[in-house]
Formats: sequence, structure tokens, C-alpha cells
Amino acid sequence: MTPGPAGSAVRGAARPGGARPRSGRTGGRARALFRFLLPLAVLTALWALVVEVTGVPMRVFPQVTDVAAAIRDMALSGELVQHLGASLRRVLIGSVIAIGTALPFGIALGASRALSAFFSPLLRFSVALAGIAWIPIATLWIGYGDGAVIFIVWNAMFFALAYNTMLGVRRIPTSLLRSARSLGAGRWRMFWEVLLPGAMPSIVSGLRVGLGYGWRGLVAAEIIATSAGLGYALFLAQSTFSTDVIIASMVIIGVLWLLTDRLLLAPLERNTVERWGMAGGER
Amino acid sequence: MTALVIEGLEKVYTDAYSGEEVVAIGDVSFTVEQGEFVSVLGPSGCGKTTVLNAVAGFVDPTGGEVRVDGHEVRGPGPDRGVVFQSHALFPWKTVLGNVTFGLRVQGIRRREREERGREFLELVGLDGFERRYPHELSGGMQQRLGVARVLTNEPAVMLMDEPFASIDAQTRRRLQEDLTRIFEKRRPTVFFVTHDIDEAVFLSDRIVVLSHRPSSVQEIVPVDLPRPRTWRAAVDAPAFRDTVARINDLLRVDEDPEAGEPEPAGGGAGA
Repeated sequence: MTPGPAGSAVRGAARPGGARPRSGRTGGRARALFRFLLPLAVLTALWALVVEVTGVPMRVFPQVTDVAAAIRDMALSGELVQHLGASLRRVLIGSVIAIGTALPFGIALGASRALSAFFSPLLRFSVALAGIAWIPIATLWIGYGDGAVIFIVWNAMFFALAYNTMLGVRRIPTSLLRSARSLGAGRWRMFWEVLLPGAMPSIVSGLRVGLGYGWRGLVAAEIIATSAGLGYALFLAQSTFSTDVIIASMVIIGVLWLLTDRLLLAPLERNTVERWGMAGGER
Repeated sequence: MTALVIEGLEKVYTDAYSGEEVVAIGDVSFTVEQGEFVSVLGPSGCGKTTVLNAVAGFVDPTGGEVRVDGHEVRGPGPDRGVVFQSHALFPWKTVLGNVTFGLRVQGIRRREREERGREFLELVGLDGFERRYPHELSGGMQQRLGVARVLTNEPAVMLMDEPFASIDAQTRRRLQEDLTRIFEKRRPTVFFVTHDIDEAVFLSDRIVVLSHRPSSVQEIVPVDLPRPRTWRAAVDAPAFRDTVARINDLLRVDEDPEAGEPEPAGGGAGA
């Protein structure tokens, strides 16, 4: 073949086999971090200012420093580690089970018209009920404790994840499925190497939505069904009117979600859909 | 030896809206010899792509038979590799991962399949791009990778469905020359669907001209151009111009009785 000036034929910065452009990456990272933290800092400053100016009692809304002190006390007493550990463990187990069940189910639905015709109404029906609405029955079935909370986390995530996975599989272009079959791919290989990665853009957004539901389900379930975890800490603090601890727990839950997004979802997205050029619906 | 036999192929669709039966392919028969390059040409909506899809095993014919290397076609299979108009590469696999996919399915060891993959990447001029992803390649490179991915699998016949139709004119000429060169070097059996008469004449050993729907074979035109072929030589060759003119006439003669009538919708059968 006449490759000609091969480099010029490639989109973007193209060197054969070369790495992606890295120039200015550390600077970009610092700027991204700044842009990420700025709104949070502004919000915190506003909070401090409003409490300071209005002088609302601590019972109603504690000052930033009070909440910081509450977090420090929770950390020193070991409560923080205990609650955090319990919550993280439940979320982890719940989401691993949710991913392990929802992805195969969603892919099966996406690949089979008959299956999706049967399950689609059920799936839509369940979306409104997913998570929190199941807490009463989960505690009846499983009893108070880890089992019920993990069930709720799983349940909260499952439907969003399965539904998005199904949509993702349906969006894989027919020519791509056909080319895989024409290269001899069997069922198993279709699943792992074509349907699963092909549905990845949707799976990532399903994970983002689903994990959000999962966290909410976790907090709600912990308020009702356990004696440890961040949700329980919230509940306990309310009964003793410790507004600083309530706000502290809320801050911790929010921060955990931000970290999940930044440390898990964003890298997953970078290393899959963005790397493959599948982001933003192009293709 | 005959690589591909199409015998009395018929495809009748039931229109999803009107419920009427549409005869996309009436009666199509022809053969492709091993190491031969055969193109199928025809007016838009004549069902050329449907013929290809039947050979690929993507659609089941309602009548007739397709045989590849003596075996009747039932569903898609690795003996019939397809190059699509939309490149249909796996975006999540590197260039090397795409080109060796078929070998992996066959269970060939990594070292051997990468060696063979590289050989075919070199053949299509993509050596050095092994670790890139398809979206980082230009349209022309993507199509060449599609060709390499099929050839690495060494199918009995390579099916090409208007592979250069969405490529800009200049690049298209280059790709046609590249394909000719690859064909002349490796002599795969090629079944090529196009609506571009020049392209068909330049590439092919024989051209199957289909009629309007319900399509049948109107004529099979041999191309008497020496190989190796280049565009520069082809455009000056009387044989090239004569063949193009002849096919032009064939297609026009077929259109005359319908002059003034709307073109048949290409949708169903062309998809």
C-alpha cells in the first residue's frame, strides 16, 4: 500500500504507535482540581457568612467550625471509622452484586427482543419502586441488619443499571454485530467482547445513576434497619438534637459520593468510552 | 474451482406498514470463481445489498440457494468475511486487536496471530499503527483496516458492501488502487457490491448487472483490462471506456420504460 505521509492522514496528534499527547497534563489537572473545589469553597464561605451574620442558634444550623469539630470528634472516638466502614462495606457488596446481576440481565434484554418485550413493562414498573420503597418488606424478609441494607442497595441500583445496559446494547450498530458474527464470534465472545464493551457508554451512565440511587438507598436503609453506618449516625444525632453531627454526617456522605465519582467513575469513563472515541454519541 | 454459487436466489419481504409482499430479488443466479473479483451493479434499490446479505448469511432467502465452497450458507460464518460501508470496526479494540479478532476466535495462539495480524497490517499499509484505536484513524485507514481484518481470517470469499461509498472522491481512488494491488498480490475471492460503474470496471474481472426490482441478472460483463491496474492506465484504455459505456447503456435501457415514474424506494431492500 502507498501509505504516503502516514502521520498527516491520522486525526489529531498522530505518531504511529505513539502515546497520546501529554503536554501540560499536570497543569491541566491542577486547574481541573481548582475548578472542582471552587464552588464547594464558595458554598462553605457563604454558609459561614450567613450563620455569622444571622446568628442562628447552633441547634438550628451550626457554624462551619462546629461541624468540623464534630467530624474531628467522630474521628477521634473511632465512630467515624466504624460508621464509614459499615456503610462502605454495604455499598461495595451491594453494588458488586448489582453489577454482577444487572449487566448480564441488561445485555440479555438488549440482545433478545422476546425477553425485552416481556420484561420491559416490569422494569418500568419497578423503577418507581426501586430502593427505599422496599425497606419495609426487606426488613420483614431479612430482618434488621446488614442483609436488609445490602438488599436495598442492590435493589436501588439494579433497575437503572439493567435498563441502561439494555439501551446500550440496542444502540450497537447492526453492522458491528454482523461483522463480529462474520468473524466467527460465538455467544460467549459476543457477550464479553462485543455487547459488553459496545454498551459501555450507556453502562457508565447507568452506573452513575445507579450508584447515586444506591447511596440514597443505603442512607435510608441504615436509618431504619441497622445500628451502625452513616445513616444510623444521622438518625442517632437527630434523637439527641446534635445538629452539628447531622450536618457532619451529611457532609461526609456528600464527599464520599464526590470521591466515588472522581476516583471510580471518571477514570472508568476515561479508560473506556473516551479512549475508544465512543463518548458524546459520535461513531 | 468455484468459490461461490448463487442459484435462483429469491427474497420476498413483507412490508411492515402495508403488509404487502415486496419481491426484492426475483431470480438471481451467478458464480464466482476462486481468486476472481466479481462486482454486482444495478440501479438503486435493486437489491444488490440484499444479495450480499444473503451470501453473508444475514438474511434468509425465501427461495434458491447460496453455496460457498460447496456448502450451503446458513447464517454468518468466518468463511465469508464482510467489509461494510460503515467500517464496523470494534472501537474498543486497538488496530491489532481488530485485525486479530478472527484468529482469536479460532483459538490461535497470541504470538502466531499477532505475527499474522502484523503481516496483513503491513499489506494494507497500517504497520506502525498497531496500538491505536479505530477512531484515531482517517476514514481511508479505517476501511483498509476493515479489509485487513477480513483477509487475516482467510475467508473463502471476501464480501464488500459499497466499502468506499462514504469516502471522499480523492481518497476513494487511492483506496481502489490499494485494493487492486492487494487483490493482485494475494488473489482472494472478492464479491463487491457498488453503484459506481467506474469503480466496478476498474476493480473487477466480471460485473454482474442486475435489473430493477424484482431483480434478476440482466447481463454478466467481462472486463478485459490487463493487471496490474492503475487509474492512470485505465482511464486511457479503450477497453475501460468501452466497458463503462456498455454498462451505462445497460442500466439506461433498463430505466427507459420507467421514465417519468418515481424511483422505487431503496429503503427496505437496500438496508
